[in-house]
Amino acid sequence: MNNLLAIVVKEIKELVRDPKILIGVILMPIIIFPVMGSAIQISQESVQRAIIGASFAVYTDDSGFVTDAFLEYLYNNNTVVPIEAVNLEDALRQFQETDSNALIYIANGYHENITLGQKGVIQVYANLRKLNMAETSSTDVVSSLINIYNYYFGITKIRNLMEDTGAIGTPEAIRSPISIHYYSILKGTVLDIPPMSIFTLVMSQSIMLPIMVMMMVMFAIQMAATSIALEKEQKTLETFMTLPVSRMTILAGKLSGSIVIAIAGSVSYLIGFGYYMNSAFSFVPEATTMSIDAVDIGITPVGFLLVGVVIFVTLVSALAMAISVAVFADNVRTAQSFTGVLITPIMIPAIILMFSDIEMLPQTTQWILLVIPYTHSIIATKAAFLGEYLVVIRSIVFMSAWTLVVLYIAAKIFSTERIITAQFTLGDLGKRLRQR
Amino acid sequence: MRYAIEARKISKNFGKTQALKGVSFSVKENEIYGLIGPNAAGKTTTLRILSTLISPTNGSAEVFGLDVKKHPEKVREIISYLPEEAGAYQQLTGLEFLEFMAGFYVDNKEQRDEIVDEGKLISGLEERLDDKVKGYSKGMKRRLLIARALMMKPRLAILDEPTSGLDVIQSIHVRNMIKNYADSLGVTIFLSSHNMLEVEYLCHRVALVDEGVILAEGSPVELIERYGAKNLEEVFIEVTQSE
Repeated sequence: MNNLLAIVVKEIKELVRDPKILIGVILMPIIIFPVMGSAIQISQESVQRAIIGASFAVYTDDSGFVTDAFLEYLYNNNTVVPIEAVNLEDALRQFQETDSNALIYIANGYHENITLGQKGVIQVYANLRKLNMAETSSTDVVSSLINIYNYYFGITKIRNLMEDTGAIGTPEAIRSPISIHYYSILKGTVLDIPPMSIFTLVMSQSIMLPIMVMMMVMFAIQMAATSIALEKEQKTLETFMTLPVSRMTILAGKLSGSIVIAIAGSVSYLIGFGYYMNSAFSFVPEATTMSIDAVDIGITPVGFLLVGVVIFVTLVSALAMAISVAVFADNVRTAQSFTGVLITPIMIPAIILMFSDIEMLPQTTQWILLVIPYTHSIIATKAAFLGEYLVVIRSIVFMSAWTLVVLYIAAKIFSTERIITAQFTLGDLGKRLRQR
Repeated sequence: MRYAIEARKISKNFGKTQALKGVSFSVKENEIYGLIGPNAAGKTTTLRILSTLISPTNGSAEVFGLDVKKHPEKVREIISYLPEEAGAYQQLTGLEFLEFMAGFYVDNKEQRDEIVDEGKLISGLEERLDDKVKGYSKGMKRRLLIARALMMKPRLAILDEPTSGLDVIQSIHVRNMIKNYADSLGVTIFLSSHNMLEVEYLCHRVALVDEGVILAEGSPVELIERYGAKNLEEVFIEVTQSE
């Protein structure tokens, strides 16, 4: 136990004191994400300010009470720059000399068309001087204003027609006769909540866990591979292997040290990423105010424990795999390029299953994904949220079996001379292929 | 006669390459025994077999009666191995490195501190032991590593090219360190070297090895007399040319 602890402490000291790892894995996420988030926040806020303070120009060559009513609505609701011009061409020239980003042109015939029961056309011109977001958003402000006017104008016209004809009902129902109300059935309970809201809620809260698992696995793989490669690069492995300590203790020490650093890196990443999401998207209104407990899809203590087991077996197998592969590298750079290959089978199921369920995929894709052990880590963490413990346990059994296989391979490599003699370079691969 | 090492017809193949071809020798307790030979002669392979890093393809080797293939963990408790291209953990201080290594040989802190004190003394690095290893010169690193190899007073120290890459002054310092340590504590030392003068100075007995075969064995004086040479270098040339 003392030996194991000594190795773990040594591993942590070695990895944390290495500026590349300290800065790259632990400090960078906690610094770079908030900086990125703040930058986005600053630019978004300035766009918002620009949109709120933006004025728009209005020009018309039409006349009549319908046109006057619309003009009055526009003048009452926003900062409007009226354009007095001889024709549209002149109006557009004058508009480009103002600070306004959009021009509303009420074309000749608007009043007449509407009084004859036809559509009145309004043209909106956006002046894209700098091609920034504030300029393009200015047309959205104009559209919103016109849509609101359009709605109430339509309702008023329907009401007048109903009064004239004596039709029954409400103007709103005649304008839009069908109304949809969404319900969700969750674990047999009917909830008066649209499915999209629940999906958004689950995505926003439960998705973080699989992402964290994947982040941790990726960090851990890098750490474990670096740890072994460092021993080779620093020429300490041979000495280490002749110490009176069992090879299994060395293996366990390396796995544990890498897990500690991976957890630190993941926590740092999550803090930084959380701050980034909060600050970068602070201007976006909340999609839902529901809490995850309100819809009963929160994770229970049993689920939490099972997720813990899933994370543990996932980490151990990924690390054992990384160590087994890194043994063949003679320096840190080669080891890290090897880990790039290892990360791929972990990333693919993570990305696919983030957006869909395994059952939704074509049969062949399902089989391919199910063969990849790390698919089961994602399935299990999702299932834990939905209380499908049988699925979680099934995944744990599969992952544990895989972990034992990988650990056996790692232990075999550690207990034989391969740990010293194994070496593999891309040059070797080329040579072997040529020989064949 | 009790032997620290008994190697019987050990051979080692790496794929199609035969690094050792049935080498036999024995090393007495408290003896300093040297393997000399050119590059790729099989010296490092022999040392790695004795230090349990690799197993012989054929033959057997025993360290103080313990078979290296059957009881590697027991062998590791009584030996200490210094590889030719050994390094130390760059991010640890010299002292932390010695403490880390010492911790594997004893259970309590007092004993560990005694070992580390011995290591400090052997290394002669004094206050530089508080600096990180990454700031050490090649000579300082080698001194730290030799201190690591000898500080726990192993029954057998296996040293591969102990003065490899060192300048003349550093080499003399390291040689004296090994000799004094072996003489005063009676530790058996098995070393390899390219440097014939070093071996002549340090070793009680030597074996001349080339292409995986021992060509001659004896004390430096015996070998020099046997071949009518001025020193071991001439002996080596004589032996390899006659082969």
